[in-house]
Amino acid sequence: MGDDIVLVIVVVTALGFDFTNGFHDTANVVATSISTKAMSPRLAVGYAAVLNFAGAFISLEVAATVADDVVEQGAITPTVVFAGLIGAISWNLVTWYYGLPSSSSHALIGGVIGSTVAAVGTGAVIVDGVVGDVLVPAVVAPIVAFVVGALGIVLAYRIVGRLRPGAVTRGYRLGQMVSGGLLALAHGTNDAQKTMGVITLALIANGTLSEDAGVPFWVVVAAATAIAFGTYSGGWRIIRTMGTRIIKMDAAQGFSAQGAGAAVIMASSHFGFPLSTTQVISGGVMGAGAGKRVSAVRWGVAGNIVVAWLLTIPSAAAIGALAYGVTRIFGTGAVGPVVVAAGAVALIAVTFARRARQGAPVPAG
Amino acid sequence: MLSIASIVDWEALLQTVAASVVAGVGVAIAFSVAIYGATRFAEARRMGASLVTVGAAALTVVALGACLAAITGGILVMTSG
Repeated sequence: MGDDIVLVIVVVTALGFDFTNGFHDTANVVATSISTKAMSPRLAVGYAAVLNFAGAFISLEVAATVADDVVEQGAITPTVVFAGLIGAISWNLVTWYYGLPSSSSHALIGGVIGSTVAAVGTGAVIVDGVVGDVLVPAVVAPIVAFVVGALGIVLAYRIVGRLRPGAVTRGYRLGQMVSGGLLALAHGTNDAQKTMGVITLALIANGTLSEDAGVPFWVVVAAATAIAFGTYSGGWRIIRTMGTRIIKMDAAQGFSAQGAGAAVIMASSHFGFPLSTTQVISGGVMGAGAGKRVSAVRWGVAGNIVVAWLLTIPSAAAIGALAYGVTRIFGTGAVGPVVVAAGAVALIAVTFARRARQGAPVPAG
Repeated sequence: MLSIASIVDWEALLQTVAASVVAGVGVAIAFSVAIYGATRFAEARRMGASLVTVGAAALTVVALGACLAAITGGILVMTSG
């Protein structure tokens, strides 16, 4: 009974994490389309939410990586997965509060690693999987998106440079209907799968699924729904603040940036690499900016991404380990996770209330 | 001691990079060619240059077809696992 309560808490927490992931990332997915006036904010947000949902059904390779290649399934319990989620959510909350760019994906993986190390030691961490499937692709992917975005815009300008700007802009705005949709589809594919992987890991740890079982269909539907609702909810906040935070770019740059982000995320998802979609999209946007004018790139953002690479996994891991330690104070039953979950909800409420009093945070990532 | 070179699945990583570059840059080129073709088509039709009109229309259709094929192919590859 106690194990089942913990499992329910893990599933609810994971879906909550998925919701916040969609909420957080809406800006990345829709800002370019809205900025270039390819779509109205309402249409862009609704379109992104629907395609986020659809994207979650395209592939399960990333979910398999998160479930199989980060920590040893047989060595952990649902409480370990729960503590990892608390580590990820807490780190996301801290970075959101201070306006630092954060990767929900890296936070999730860091949190699970930290709680696993606290519970059973470093031996249960699959170093090959973490380095080969997470860390190296995390560094490579934004760089590839930058190069693809830059090459795409340079070649596009060469092809259409002598045409009437009005016709060209209308053409690329139409193209952004497709490239923006692909980006939303890619985002749903990569990000929703991380939650699917974590829930699957918890089900295996609980003995509900065998170690060689795939992702259950209800997990796919639940994760898809949570990220789509998160995207839709996050969008209304973005609509209110639109016009002050968006990146100024022309329609050709928007098309190139979205195409670069979608191509990198979809290709990576096919090979099971769980990426930071925020960092990949930022790479595409910076590449499309640099392709027009190198000085147009906000190099400070690039610096923040590097800092985020260095900080996120260890910080989320430390919080995940601490969360596991706190749950163990109350024994091995359901009391620890219930107390920590209640504490986390209270912390989230206080953080939102404080931020609401102080005004909106600096946009992350 | 573990070496990154032996841990990373370089084949998968290189395929990811190659697919990203080919798809991302390829679609940007193809769609730009489609815009070029469509704009030239509109100009040629206004001027009554029928040969250019047909050529520009064909260029637009082929370029849009290439974009559509790349996107559909990419999604099919992903859904096939």
